[in-house]
Amino acid sequence: MATPEAVQLAPAGNSVLMHRNRHGFWWRFSRNRLAVVSLAVAILLILLATAGPLWYGVDANYQDYDAINSWPSSAHPLGADSLGRDTLARIMQGLRVSLTVAFYVELITIAVGATLGLLAGYAGGHVDNVISRFADMLFAFPGLLFAILIAAVFGQAVTERFGGIGRLLLVAGSLALVSWPLMARYVRGQTLTLKERDFVGAARSIGASNGRIMRSHIMPGVIGLIVISATLDVAAVVVNEAVLSLLGLGIQPPDPSVGQMIRQSIDYLETNWTQVLFPSLVLTLLVLVFSFVGDGLRDAVDPQSATHAERSNAPPRRRLSRSISYPVALSVVHML
Amino acid sequence: MSWKKMIPLFVLVLVAVVAAGCAAPAPTGQSAAQPAAAEATAPAGVQKLIWSVEGVNELPGLDPANPQNAQSIQAINLIFGGLVKLDDQLNVVPDGAEKWEVSEDGKTYTFTIREGLKFADGAPVTANDFAASINRALQPETASYGASFQLGHIVGANDVAAGNAKEASGIVVVDDRTLAITLDDNVPYFLAQLTYPVSFAVPLQAVEKDPTGWTEKAFGTGPFQVKEWQHNQKLILEPNPNYWAGAPSIAEVELPFFQDSETAYQLYRTGGLDIMGSQQNPVPAAHVAEVKDSPDFKTVASFATRYIGFNNKLAPFDNPQVRRAFALAVDKATLADKVLSGAVTPTDRIVPAGFPGSQLPVKGLAFDAAAAKQELAAAGYGADNPFPQVTFTYGAEGDNERVATFLQQQWKENLGVDVVLQPLELATFSKNLDTTYLTPEAGLQFYLSIWGADYPDAQNFVSQQLRSDSPNNNGHFENADFDKLAMEADTFIGSAEDRLKLYNEAEQIAVDQVGWLPLYSPSFNVLIRPEVSGVVATGQGLVFPDWSQVTSRAAQ
Amino acid sequence: MAPLISRRLLSLIFVIFSITFLTFIVGSLAPGDPILVMMGPRRDPAIYENLRHQYGLDLPWWQQYFNYVGGLLHGDLGMSYRYQGRSVNEILGGGVGVSISLGFAALAVSLLIGIPLGILAALRQNSWFDRTSMITMLALFSIPTFVMIPILRAFNYYVLYKNGLPSLPPAGWGTPAHWVLPVIVLAAVSMGYMARLTRSSMLETLRQDYIRTANAKGLPQRRVVGVHALRNALLPIVTVIGPAMAFLVTGSFVVESLFAIPGVGFIGVQAISQRDYPVIQGTTVVLAVAVVVMNLVTDILYTVLDPRIKSEG
Repeated sequence: MATPEAVQLAPAGNSVLMHRNRHGFWWRFSRNRLAVVSLAVAILLILLATAGPLWYGVDANYQDYDAINSWPSSAHPLGADSLGRDTLARIMQGLRVSLTVAFYVELITIAVGATLGLLAGYAGGHVDNVISRFADMLFAFPGLLFAILIAAVFGQAVTERFGGIGRLLLVAGSLALVSWPLMARYVRGQTLTLKERDFVGAARSIGASNGRIMRSHIMPGVIGLIVISATLDVAAVVVNEAVLSLLGLGIQPPDPSVGQMIRQSIDYLETNWTQVLFPSLVLTLLVLVFSFVGDGLRDAVDPQSATHAERSNAPPRRRLSRSISYPVALSVVHML
Repeated sequence: MSWKKMIPLFVLVLVAVVAAGCAAPAPTGQSAAQPAAAEATAPAGVQKLIWSVEGVNELPGLDPANPQNAQSIQAINLIFGGLVKLDDQLNVVPDGAEKWEVSEDGKTYTFTIREGLKFADGAPVTANDFAASINRALQPETASYGASFQLGHIVGANDVAAGNAKEASGIVVVDDRTLAITLDDNVPYFLAQLTYPVSFAVPLQAVEKDPTGWTEKAFGTGPFQVKEWQHNQKLILEPNPNYWAGAPSIAEVELPFFQDSETAYQLYRTGGLDIMGSQQNPVPAAHVAEVKDSPDFKTVASFATRYIGFNNKLAPFDNPQVRRAFALAVDKATLADKVLSGAVTPTDRIVPAGFPGSQLPVKGLAFDAAAAKQELAAAGYGADNPFPQVTFTYGAEGDNERVATFLQQQWKENLGVDVVLQPLELATFSKNLDTTYLTPEAGLQFYLSIWGADYPDAQNFVSQQLRSDSPNNNGHFENADFDKLAMEADTFIGSAEDRLKLYNEAEQIAVDQVGWLPLYSPSFNVLIRPEVSGVVATGQGLVFPDWSQVTSRAAQ
Repeated sequence: MAPLISRRLLSLIFVIFSITFLTFIVGSLAPGDPILVMMGPRRDPAIYENLRHQYGLDLPWWQQYFNYVGGLLHGDLGMSYRYQGRSVNEILGGGVGVSISLGFAALAVSLLIGIPLGILAALRQNSWFDRTSMITMLALFSIPTFVMIPILRAFNYYVLYKNGLPSLPPAGWGTPAHWVLPVIVLAAVSMGYMARLTRSSMLETLRQDYIRTANAKGLPQRRVVGVHALRNALLPIVTVIGPAMAFLVTGSFVVESLFAIPGVGFIGVQAISQRDYPVIQGTTVVLAVAVVVMNLVTDILYTVLDPRIKSEG
């Protein structure tokens, strides 16, 4: 078990680690080839979403009526959709929209879920009780159904008042409702575990303030986990946005999202399957790379779960892996 | 930990497996609440007709006094009957009444009830049953949304609707077989209105016995009666043994509900349905090409018009020149042929093709981008006075999103106007139309909508939609010349031809002033299995002229 | 055990009240008048007032809520706005059984395929089998159900039906054959998760001291895996069965909608689009009870299986 001195000695950037290790976080991450490749693909996808449209230069909303549902050709490298719009241009644009939604969802999830989780875990007592019960309630709520309810009831008013960006935030907000209780539950568990560690007790005994303990002992221990579960949640968010779109409650047309492109082309599966294939591939790719990056991060933060890990006492490990599996489980099942 | 402790886990898995295995063959246990499909199926060998109901996962109700959507009307028309009905040419023909007379002023209709007419349970039907059914439909306790509107011309109807009377004074039971109905005006389309379910005969004894639950086993004077209503799944009908035209030869009609017409199409093509496709939810456009040459495929122009409505009380669409500019800037041919792959017929007018009155020509606003720009300039918009950003609203269903996106592009390209799209989920959309009618200043700017015929009379389109005093004129189109012509036609005494001429003149004004911006008439594309005979596709849906002649496949 | 159950039941009551309250607040904050939505384009002031009164909407909101809670205590979920004369109990009644049995079937299939697959992958870690099966599992749940369904249907039609082979009904409900496609689609998603979870938990267990000891003692590998590793490795699976089941039931509305299955998820989504608040409330209450009960079952199982874990709130 780590001694207080060891933690004090650990450089700030690496103190995500709760265990003393010979090698740093990035070293371990880089040893995981799948995770590294995935990270590269993820960066490529993000580049495609941000710089891609500029480089490609085709208007994603321009309608070429002679190219309706056309197959890949020199004019349209990935074909065109049911309104004759260029699929490559729309995929880039759609990636941008989908990733933006996912970004806001995770931002809200972290801001609300992680903060409340930290607070509940660290403060304990009544604060913990109130927050946990509230999270439990949302947790028992049929998640996506609630997101649909919020998006359906407030969608129009919000769009009228705040336009497209308001709509995007509403969609993100309602999807975050599905994610944040899990994040809170998870961070709370981790904070509780950390709080009982020897080094926290030692820090307290030498008179460290709550703020200091939080900053230098608790926060570093949960940040990695927050990042991991947020990363793993991205894929689910992209699919959930697609489900909202399926009900006409997602992002407003003509702007595409990856999920929306799939929905719009699925009716034409038998006319031109390529139009379903391309956005679906992008979606699958998003899910795969974000999952692998998440896995890689987890293994690097928590080396025991990786194959080359050193051994340590079992009980805290079990706790950790259980709590990791919870948000993942739910982010997976709630995309049904 | 010992093996014993693993037992609960295995039990859980086992339970799950057993649940999966058992629940399937015989839906017992936890799925008992779901009526077993097996017991409702007709015995093998007899004829069974499976006709899908698309666009809903459940019928809102079967009470003819309150037909809430086209899907429930599809079922109501099989179970109930009125005084008159439509034939396959959409003429009004006798149903519960074998004949009728109209007074010279056109205000009094005297019906002779068919001799020996019975409800499905064998109880005789008299003039009193019809009178009581109509009064019931009007009473506020029935909460019918459409009755007071459809039957409002009957003298005293409004008193009943307002709760001030129980019976309309204009409905008089002369004797058991004679019913006289007096109207407040000459209403040439009154008989056509009587083909709409609100005036159909309902078995009042059954209604009184169970006012909310009687429709579970609904029956009336129509060819069929309810055998079983499997909620959220299907409605199963069996023949009415007392049907006046002879009991149908089909032993069972099954009406399964499909929210998504794609699902119904999938079932049809693997042999699970005998008829699929309705006016509102025809064979999906994406599949029309696949089935176009099949003998199963039938297509007729629907008596419906998809149009753009404008809020005439709000700038900038209060200006007819702006509306004209928007109308001239839309290439409807491309919309119909390319975007909607020929599944619709483009139109420049209000009355749908084939509908009474459509034989008289109307000159439409044909696509002309240059003329459109001129109109917009003439309305005072240009470089120094740019056109404001406007919002176009539509209900998120079917092809609407693609149509709206197409229109957005057209206005951008041909007028240089930026239009924001606002898809609304259907319920919210119709609520917004109400708002637009009740408080125009807080209403929609312009919107995509559709109107389908309630009954085959030009009044149903021209006057009901655009007369300034009509409650269906959501956009508040107002034109004095139009109103004068439409009003004259609505109460016209004389030849039907002369009356249609008046409507035609009115329609021309509405087209020129863009009361509506008509886009297209959807095609009623329907798939009917070749084994099914005795059914005719009309612009107002499927008509079965003589149920005793209708055949279908033998149940398996 | 008893304190755990009683505490959970208490929390169930709390959860149900807060959920109804929250849904209620959302409903009353909602722009728009449910009665107007209900009446559609035709309007008649007398009927409008009559309906408002009938549904108690002319009362102040808190009174409406108390009336609702009063009904709830008697097991009465109220009357539907959309389906005149029909109670919410009746509307949801059939759907609950359908969704639960569908969820169980999907869960069973995903466990029966996912667990063995996960174990095999763990035993052959980093092998060709491990990688392909895990990537396939991951890809399976990345394909949205509304994509998987048309693909399965196209296969069913072009490959099976058109060639006269036995084919499956592409929609509907009633016979055993109707279960096959929806269960495949639903199971595909959770199966991937079960397999990955089993794999990682198995790997972790295999590294534990006592497994190493057992191996060192020379116990046969089959016995080590079958007896020692498996029972511990499956513990995390037990923890997710509850939530997985709950979400299979609540989250299956896309499947229910596209297959025309009269389940509760689909009824709930329909109710949202029709602004049928009593049905929305009823659906959330029913589903919340399902979630809480499933979680309780999970916790009980877990305490039974792993005595080290003391019931934590």
